[in-house]
Amino acid sequence: MTATSADPNSERDVSFALEGRLTALNIAPVWAEAVQTLERNPQRRIVVDASRLEYIDATGIALVFDLKRRERPPGAEMEIRGLAPNLAALIPDYEREHFSRAFRRAPALGIVEQIGRAASQEIAYVKRMLGFLRECGAALLQGMRRPGVIRWGEVLSVATEAGANAVPIVLLIGFLMGVIIAFEIGLVAQQFGAVIFVVDGVGVAMLRELGALMTAIVFAGRTGAAFAAQIGTQKVNEEVNAILTFGLEPVHFLVLPRLLAAMLVVPLLTVLADVVGIFGGALVLASFDIGFAEFYNHLLGAVGAADFLIGLLKATVFGLAIAAIGCERGLSTGAGATSVGLSATSAVVTSIVWIVVLDGLFTVALSG
Amino acid sequence: MGYGTRVLLQDASFDVQRGEIMVILGGSGCGKSSLMKNIIGLYRPMGGDILIDGWSVISASPKEKAQLQRKLGIMYQSGALFGSLTVLENVRFPLDEFTDIGLDEKNLTARMLLHQVEMAYAEALMPGELSGGMLKRAGIARAMALGADILMLDEPSAGLDPITAANLDRTILSLRANLGFTFVVVTHELQSIFTIADRAVMLDPVSRSIIAEGNPRDLRDHSTDPRVRQFFNRRPDEAPATTAEA
Repeated sequence: MTATSADPNSERDVSFALEGRLTALNIAPVWAEAVQTLERNPQRRIVVDASRLEYIDATGIALVFDLKRRERPPGAEMEIRGLAPNLAALIPDYEREHFSRAFRRAPALGIVEQIGRAASQEIAYVKRMLGFLRECGAALLQGMRRPGVIRWGEVLSVATEAGANAVPIVLLIGFLMGVIIAFEIGLVAQQFGAVIFVVDGVGVAMLRELGALMTAIVFAGRTGAAFAAQIGTQKVNEEVNAILTFGLEPVHFLVLPRLLAAMLVVPLLTVLADVVGIFGGALVLASFDIGFAEFYNHLLGAVGAADFLIGLLKATVFGLAIAAIGCERGLSTGAGATSVGLSATSAVVTSIVWIVVLDGLFTVALSG
Repeated sequence: MGYGTRVLLQDASFDVQRGEIMVILGGSGCGKSSLMKNIIGLYRPMGGDILIDGWSVISASPKEKAQLQRKLGIMYQSGALFGSLTVLENVRFPLDEFTDIGLDEKNLTARMLLHQVEMAYAEALMPGELSGGMLKRAGIARAMALGADILMLDEPSAGLDPITAANLDRTILSLRANLGFTFVVVTHELQSIFTIADRAVMLDPVSRSIIAEGNPRDLRDHSTDPRVRQFFNRRPDEAPATTAEA
């Protein structure tokens, strides 16, 4: 370890000693005391006795360098005595100005610059997204004209993972949505003797809105994020570059199968959510003295094929949007694992926002 | 040693003396990096034991294993920097976690380490902005930050330019000469092996064993094993190929 002391025999000199083994684990108080000693005695000569110093690690090397690099006025220099040659050999002869500036990350931006940068990034994102959607549209058209060019094996594989494996969670969410809607509306309707009209509410809500909406949100969280992470990892591992240098289009190779799979499975999952949601509503209304037969008969009068088809149309568009956003986020991934995580998060958030926006547009467009 | 039921290496015994630079070498896929991960306790070998300063890595409790691992400074093949921290923060990370040293002093230490591996100019960059060689050099700086007794380096000079690789070899020799560090280096860079290694063990993926142990120059000049001569003389036609990709 070390001992620090002012030399009582000298008016001018201050001396202290560095001793034993100085390592990262014990150097903190020694370093602090050494620096304080130098700062407390700006006009006195400092003598550091290092003759009993046995070992220093990277922090010890930095301590000795730190003491040597400090500028002192003439007559108040710092001198290190007795440093063993093997330890002296470790002290580098770096220029002191290399180490004089404070470390800091990039300075924080002003509010105006932040707004400007954010706006510029959004504009760039919209441009990029439009370009990406144009490429996706072209790939889809080409796929429709020449179905043979589509990698159907990949489409099936993605559809299985994104669709079949998502059935349990979609069934659970759909069923619970039906139960909750029926119960909440049922309690109110009961006060007005209008429980039978809850059937209308459950039917219309599940078929036109909630079946597609809830399925899309589950799909965005489960599959949209996975698309972004998979493609993002491929980007980080330079697989996307490999695809490009083979003369292939990443959109055709990576994106198109996912778009088709999503457009296929989100409507199918929505049908399941619709069915179990209505079944959940029927179960709840049974406790309000509306039997299954009565529920079924009233439901046929309350909803039509149009409601069901509107739900499916929404589901298809939602699926397309989620897959496109997930893939675009993946292809925009920067470098490193952190970027992949950011892409996945961004894919989910962007997808959910767009699901709600698109749902609003559908509601306005189809409410006439 | 192996994965699941697949044996990579068997009957492999060797020792490393304090202050020695031991190189583990062999062709691609022979299990060099896996052997290093067994030594540092990340993987558990199928049988046998690994001793560091007489303490068993295998039978150590998690707390004892953490203490043993603190004796080791490890540089992984990819650098293994944390993606959310700058280069300087990565090198400073062990000091932040295990010491009470002031921030200015930690920054100075980290900067000096970065200077040592010629990476000072990149201190504010994020790992995602670095090339493979830069990641590796920053990884070496981080491995040295906490003053470990034993430095384990996995392919330290692969992918580095010749000057940086030579500087790194010089740094390794200087640390050993002046501080008595022990090095275990996984590599197949012949020039680096001949420059730094006191001894080397050579692994063979076909026999799944150590086929040579000794000073690399002696092995090159005097080994009667054609696989060893083939490796050191870079002559693929000297003996049947023995490399296999993992």
